[in-house]
Amino acid sequence: MAIKVIGVILVLCGSSGLGWYMADRGRQHIQLLEELRKKLMLLKGEIVYGNSPLGEACARVAAKSEGEFSSFFDAVSKRIEAQRGEPLYEIWKEETGKLDRNLPLSAEDKQQLEQFGEHLGYLNTEMQERTILLYLEQLEESITYLKEHQREKSRLYTSLGILGGVFLVIILC
Amino acid sequence: MERKEELLRIFSKDIREILGKMAVEFDEVQEIRLRVHAPLLMVYHNKEYYVSSAGNLSTYIEDAYIVSRQELQETMEYMSNYSLYAFEEEMKQGFITIQGGHRIGLAGKTIVDDCGIRSMKFISFLNVRLSHQVKGCASEVLPYLYDHGDILHTLIISPPRCGKTTLLRDMIRQISNGTGPGEGMTVGVIDERSEIGACYQGIPQNELGIRTDILDCCPKAKGMMMLIRTMSPRVIAVDEIGSREDLDAIEYVMNCGCKLIATVHGSSIEDIRQKPVLRKLVQEKVFERYIILNNKGKIGNVSQIYDSRGNQLKG
Repeated sequence: MAIKVIGVILVLCGSSGLGWYMADRGRQHIQLLEELRKKLMLLKGEIVYGNSPLGEACARVAAKSEGEFSSFFDAVSKRIEAQRGEPLYEIWKEETGKLDRNLPLSAEDKQQLEQFGEHLGYLNTEMQERTILLYLEQLEESITYLKEHQREKSRLYTSLGILGGVFLVIILC
Repeated sequence: MERKEELLRIFSKDIREILGKMAVEFDEVQEIRLRVHAPLLMVYHNKEYYVSSAGNLSTYIEDAYIVSRQELQETMEYMSNYSLYAFEEEMKQGFITIQGGHRIGLAGKTIVDDCGIRSMKFISFLNVRLSHQVKGCASEVLPYLYDHGDILHTLIISPPRCGKTTLLRDMIRQISNGTGPGEGMTVGVIDERSEIGACYQGIPQNELGIRTDILDCCPKAKGMMMLIRTMSPRVIAVDEIGSREDLDAIEYVMNCGCKLIATVHGSSIEDIRQKPVLRKLVQEKVFERYIILNNKGKIGNVSQIYDSRGNQLKG
């Protein structure tokens, strides 16, 4: 009997934990997009007001603050400065692909980031500003959407975790 | 070797490969010219050659490697580090200066608006002019430029490609370090086109001496006044003067007790007398020394030196 009780507790803890983990991932997703938004604001400043070339601008963005995307901007900057004769889009795409798979980013987020690199460096400073602003708008929309649904999703995942555990316990018993 | 690699990185992959195979001394290369659907050319030791796809210099056009539009576009991307937007202002003047102080002349279709040239597109002609640092090339002329330990107002007159910037650079270095006939002096350099100091992220890549302050990418006329107010230099050095604003600034510099060393395109004092703005300076005997360069022999070859009255001191 004692073993059964322990088993029930473990199943309930495990399933609830999974629910909480999923809910927390949603929160992290928002935080990550907000961090990316901050980095892009810095990039915009470097390009528009500092008139910095992309390599220098990315290096400064990476150095300004820590976070998941710092290493991304740092890697892009190093590859640009190395001047190995690769198109910028390829550099950007490859480095996006190298982002940690465990990061709570959706496939859509990654695709948007990839596409952003496609238009960087094209034409004049105004064009760079517009490209960044367009991407910032997309990010803003994603963040707003996630925030709107965050509370209900978080509640859903937590309840699903607990109820799933209870369901499993009933079946197993 | 490092200089060669640094320079090759600006070219498209194919051209990079060809130039990489070449057995020429890159310190002696003056220009590399790229034109769409035209031969790849190199000016080496003051002579123009075709570059073959095997990486040899040739005088026969049949051997020449023909540059494609795609290669030129790629080269444009690489030389600006994918950031042509950062060179917008320079492109309006028809050239960009890259890391190492090399100047790249551009020609294509200009886009004009009410304010003048806004930008350039379909860039189909490039002239990569290599910057040279020849330490000691000013040693020969420096003794003529001092009077009682102080520098004299000097104008270097030279046709293009004769090394006036190279000579100016070494003069600045020696005056600043005090390795010339006089003691070391504070030198203020206004490097409008980043050619003299070749600053990269604010740090000069060319050696300009220990007492040198550089105002990088700053318009000459504004820069001269700024430096005098802020850095109190004893000598001001500028490259390629000629505009009306420059004239006002030069007068300001001279009235402040600073000495001026400047360069200008031309081949004799007579040429300078023909120039509407500079004529006044020659007539008023503002410059105390004129150094005339020619392209015979080595870079920065001095053909004559004159004083303010036009008396020949050398040559």
